[in-house]
Amino acid sequence: MSQKLQKLHGNKNYLLSWRFIKNRLMTIFAFVTLGIMLCILVSILTNLIINGFSGLSFFTLFHMTAPQGLPGGLLNPILGSIIQVGLATLIAVPLGILGGVFLAECPNKKLSASIRFIADMMMSVPSILIGLFVYIILVMTMGYSAFAGACALAILALPVIARTTEEALNMVPVAIHEAGFALGAPKWKVVFLVCLPAARGGVITGILLAISRIAGETAPLLFTSLGNSDWSWNIFKPMASLPLVIYQYADSADDIWINLAWTAALLITIFVLCLNLIARIYVDRRRKKDQSL
Amino acid sequence: MAIFQSKNRKNNQILPYLFTSLTWCSGALIILIFIGLIIELCWQGRQAFSVFGFEFITSTTWNPVKQQYSAGVSLIGTLLSSCIGVMLALPLSFGCAYCLSELMPRFIARYMTATIQLLAAIPSIILGMWGFFILVPLMSKYVQPFLKQVFGNVPYVEILFSGGTFGVGILTAGLILAIMITPFITAMMQESFANTPSMLKESAYSLGATKWEVMRHVTLPWVQKGVIGGIVLGWGRALGETMAVTFVIGNAHHAGWSLFTSSNTIASLIALEFSESTAGSLKMSSLMALGAVLMMISFIVLFCSQLLLKQVLKSR
Amino acid sequence: MIHDETAISIQKVDFYYGAQQALKNINFDVQANKVTAMIGPSGCGKSTLLRMLNRMYDLYPNQHAKGQVLFDGVNILDKETDLNILRSRIGMVFQKPTPFSMSIYDNIAFGIKLYERLSSAQMQEKVEKVLRQVALWDEVKDRLYRSALGLSGGQQQRLCIARALAVEPEVILLDEPTSALDPISTAKIEELLDILKENYTILLVTHNLQQAARCADKVAFFYAGELVEMNDAAILFTKPAQTKTHDYITGRFG
Repeated sequence: MSQKLQKLHGNKNYLLSWRFIKNRLMTIFAFVTLGIMLCILVSILTNLIINGFSGLSFFTLFHMTAPQGLPGGLLNPILGSIIQVGLATLIAVPLGILGGVFLAECPNKKLSASIRFIADMMMSVPSILIGLFVYIILVMTMGYSAFAGACALAILALPVIARTTEEALNMVPVAIHEAGFALGAPKWKVVFLVCLPAARGGVITGILLAISRIAGETAPLLFTSLGNSDWSWNIFKPMASLPLVIYQYADSADDIWINLAWTAALLITIFVLCLNLIARIYVDRRRKKDQSL
Repeated sequence: MAIFQSKNRKNNQILPYLFTSLTWCSGALIILIFIGLIIELCWQGRQAFSVFGFEFITSTTWNPVKQQYSAGVSLIGTLLSSCIGVMLALPLSFGCAYCLSELMPRFIARYMTATIQLLAAIPSIILGMWGFFILVPLMSKYVQPFLKQVFGNVPYVEILFSGGTFGVGILTAGLILAIMITPFITAMMQESFANTPSMLKESAYSLGATKWEVMRHVTLPWVQKGVIGGIVLGWGRALGETMAVTFVIGNAHHAGWSLFTSSNTIASLIALEFSESTAGSLKMSSLMALGAVLMMISFIVLFCSQLLLKQVLKSR
Repeated sequence: MIHDETAISIQKVDFYYGAQQALKNINFDVQANKVTAMIGPSGCGKSTLLRMLNRMYDLYPNQHAKGQVLFDGVNILDKETDLNILRSRIGMVFQKPTPFSMSIYDNIAFGIKLYERLSSAQMQEKVEKVLRQVALWDEVKDRLYRSALGLSGGQQQRLCIARALAVEPEVILLDEPTSALDPISTAKIEELLDILKENYTILLVTHNLQQAARCADKVAFFYAGELVEMNDAAILFTKPAQTKTHDYITGRFG
């Protein structure tokens, strides 16, 4: 039957067939590329699980790192990562949210546009340069410390949080904004008690994504928190962290260390992917809610 | 009403003032950090710049014994590996984006998009580790000998694929970078494709065009700037990547024509040599100067990409 | 030319957006070389019907149609129908002008190249021919190779009609083609329809009752997914058989 349709256009047969072949080829190409990317992802995850899972024991989680050759764990890098990422979050969240408020509400459009431009660029500035910068301004004066590491991570997280906060604030309907003013509330009250709560979904998503980004960062920590094979609670002393341990152990020739590196890699990946999934599910749920409205 | 002024200033003076000043400070902080970053790096690298002058960029020596340092080799390594990365990432990310936004049923595409984006979330050090333990052996056993066999006798091209097949090197670094930036560029492309007016696509379909023809002649011309901006941004990310590259590039201060040779990039050189240099030394200053050079390149690339992307936003 | 010949015959057609039914048991014949206008309040299914005739809904996986649409003796809703060929025989023009971001010349050549391999002289000739058909040639002949985005809205829409004509369809579907245009451009396109119907079968969806009265030979009134009434334009607007039609054309609702 479709032949009959084609018959009327019989003179066009040849070209049509080549067009379809080309279309088919591109479709195959597209699916192949997607397949390649999926294979890579699967390969990364399976290797992490196969190599890292064996080391994931009670002992690993609750013992300090040990010198080469002795059985050691990952307790101090885990704690160090938690402390540094937590501290970085504590620094970056208030500053980032305030920065986002500034970007969204600043009356001087040219100024906010240029800050937005810079924030967008800062999101892609090589993280190792942030490390060097913090080294120059903090480490050169007060020595290697977990605090300096946290600052470097905070600088990485800051533009992400600021931009997502701004976008979330811009999504708040003007009506809600104006309703706040209509009650006679001053600007700061409208922003903090009306707009930010209305935009909290987007802000939280941004924070989660920022944390997941800095949790695996290694380069900025190299020159700031340095790493430490012992444990100390002092955040003004060098401190171990999981990425640094991976960097140090994966390059060694010691099988035990390499196994520990895989375990540490598995831990970070699980943490980062979980944060990402939570953020994504959160975004999806909110989108569904928006659609139903 | 001036937005940053409170009406009832008299009975409530401190809080509005605090609000205004705090938000302004946080905004200013972003600029300060960015400008500080550029100035401090240049300032700390001044010693190297003044000792070596312009040769710092053009020369290729890196000799700690003779106290001679330069950026040449690592600059070439940085540009070459990131360009290879972008060249490999381009077809990959276009294919993925085409597949996800045009070819797949929407509900599958949504899950697939999330899956591909997981790859973007994986920290670069883990990608580097995977590259070191999985990709490098694969490269040395299969890919590099294969390339050598295919191109080994082609005049002029052969030189790119000569030398030992140790698995590490610029090509492997480019590959890892491609894997890193592909999900990123894919996301940017998907967004651009989704922003193409559906009526425009439909009117091409209504002429009887195939999906590929619509993509090639209608969607791609329409989203041109956004896609190019996304690619350039991906390139900017590849330029400064440290951890993933350090594991697989071989870290030798050596430049050659072969893509199989070990080399280094600015970022990997800084990461490696930093622990072996003392504060205030010429070497440290050289590393800072390297940082300044990297910052300059990244700045230019990121600036261009943001300009392109902002133009797209404005035209909507 | 044979008149009163049926070009498309729509029989017992239902259409669904997911689970929601948008068209219910539609039956009517579209006559060749006539302008058939479809009117009705928004959401009544007239655009849906139009988009069904060139299977545009195939782009969206959750939309599907049931029933028969006979065109050239075959049911185009069948799975085997070759969509590309179908769409080359049933052209479409949209609510808003949709010039591709290429030159005026390439906009038209794009469609032709899909089906024919012409020498550049032949191509030139053909482009000129269709541009003259839509009375655009004199306005654009000096800037054929400049971007089509630089044209005015009315010119763009005529370009889109020319682009549809260049593929040599038998039927042209127009989905509110003048809704985004000023009155002068609208008048030009209406004039054009009058000329085009000598060679093409035209289906026109419109919100504008005056437009339907001015251009159409046949008018179909849709309401809530059903075909309420279909008749010659003169009869439907003066002596509607259904009260709903009467209410609609006298402005009681819609």
